[in-house]
Amino acid sequence: MYEKRLDNRAFDALRPMEAETGVVPNAKGSARFRIGNTEAVAAVYGPEEVKPKHFEKFDKGIILCKYDMLPFSVPDRAKPGFDRRDTEISQVITNALNRAVFLEEFPRSMITVRVYVTQADAGTRCASLTAASMACADAGLPMRDLIAAVAAGSIGGKTCLDLTKEEEDLHEEGATDVPMGFLPSKDEIVLLQLDGKVTREQLKEVLAVGKKGAMEIYELEKEALKRRVSNESKS
Amino acid sequence: MSVENFLYIKEIADDGLRMSGRTAFQGRNIKIKTSVILPSDGSAYVEIGGTKVLAGVKVMEGVPFPDRPKEGGLIVNFEASELASKYADDRITYSIEVGRVTDRGIRESNLIDLTKLVLEEGKKALFVYVDIAAMNNEGNLFDAANIAALAALLNARYKRPDSDERFPLPLDNSKLSVSHTFAKVGKSLFFDPDAEEENAADARFTIAISDKINSIQKGGSGFFTAEEIDTCVGKAFEARENTIKVLMDSTGK
Repeated sequence: MYEKRLDNRAFDALRPMEAETGVVPNAKGSARFRIGNTEAVAAVYGPEEVKPKHFEKFDKGIILCKYDMLPFSVPDRAKPGFDRRDTEISQVITNALNRAVFLEEFPRSMITVRVYVTQADAGTRCASLTAASMACADAGLPMRDLIAAVAAGSIGGKTCLDLTKEEEDLHEEGATDVPMGFLPSKDEIVLLQLDGKVTREQLKEVLAVGKKGAMEIYELEKEALKRRVSNESKS
Repeated sequence: MSVENFLYIKEIADDGLRMSGRTAFQGRNIKIKTSVILPSDGSAYVEIGGTKVLAGVKVMEGVPFPDRPKEGGLIVNFEASELASKYADDRITYSIEVGRVTDRGIRESNLIDLTKLVLEEGKKALFVYVDIAAMNNEGNLFDAANIAALAALLNARYKRPDSDERFPLPLDNSKLSVSHTFAKVGKSLFFDPDAEEENAADARFTIAISDKINSIQKGGSGFFTAEEIDTCVGKAFEARENTIKVLMDSTGK
């Protein structure tokens, strides 16, 4: 039984967060999102001409998203370049962004989203997706809503929000990790994965706790974007 | 980068003028922050004007190269992706060249005493990985990458497998090999070119200096005369003082 969290947080508490936009001046839109010791930087370019040409869709735009863990972001060195994990995460982030952005406004064009994970302590795909959605908003793309993504999980039967790497690795306790992404005002789930083992009831609870955490992130995102318009982007 | 600026930069370069108002051999402001990445053994975030790069050092165990059984290793890797600039070509043009030039400068200066990184001759040694990522490309990634790598190495504290204590890397601070990049636009030489100047430049010249010259790389399809090379070398030796000062101040040495 998991009675007390390793970092003494409440079971439904997020790690301290920071959000900032406009960190990559070259990009049309960019954002940095930090939660605990996990940090992601996202940059958005476009809409522009589709390359390679055969990806082009005549009735809507496409999002080309790449997620990349920088070699120094993890305790061991991550090999530079894309591995299978990077490719999969790029895909799930793209899927989520496809729902958030009104792509039908950009036929025959491409939006490039690049995400760097500069520091990793679990929850990198959620941090990346949150940063990517802020960067899209910062770029002025028309969107259904911002995406707020967070991981929740179950450790020894106890539902925990925003797991750290240390908690994820508590295998003997049976740690389950569920990353999820929401369009909060629409109540839509645009990213959901799970690995571990939970019951149907536990999954319900995990989703509820995740939603609550996502709402907090959502507020922070909106604040950061507002600061950007009022010209004080630094948090 | 706009086409108008491209022509304008070429035009005013004939009078030795720059769009930014800088004089020909005036560099941009350098800002360095260290210990920015927790999971790394040493890290630095460097800004040269609008150019931003992030470097992280990792020291890891490996097998020495068969031809150098008594030495550890140094590997420098640079990544310029679509994140830093919208010109996808940057990724191909710069990534490998910047990494290799940065690597050569540091390696040839013997800044790191690689023989001190051997744990067991021919079998076990420590490898120093320097990974550099461009966060925003506003020109002169060569110098930014080099300064970030040096700052991260100075900042690094590594663990040996047999103890929990952290040691600074075996560096010889008199051998910090600092890179200086010049762009040739028309007949003018400009130190620390920004992205638009690089775009308009005919040729580029990168030189890394410690107490001696450690690496040179001529880039671009234009040419340099021997006198121009000599001017660049002289100016690089002058500029080195300032860069070293900024580097030392920010790494607390």
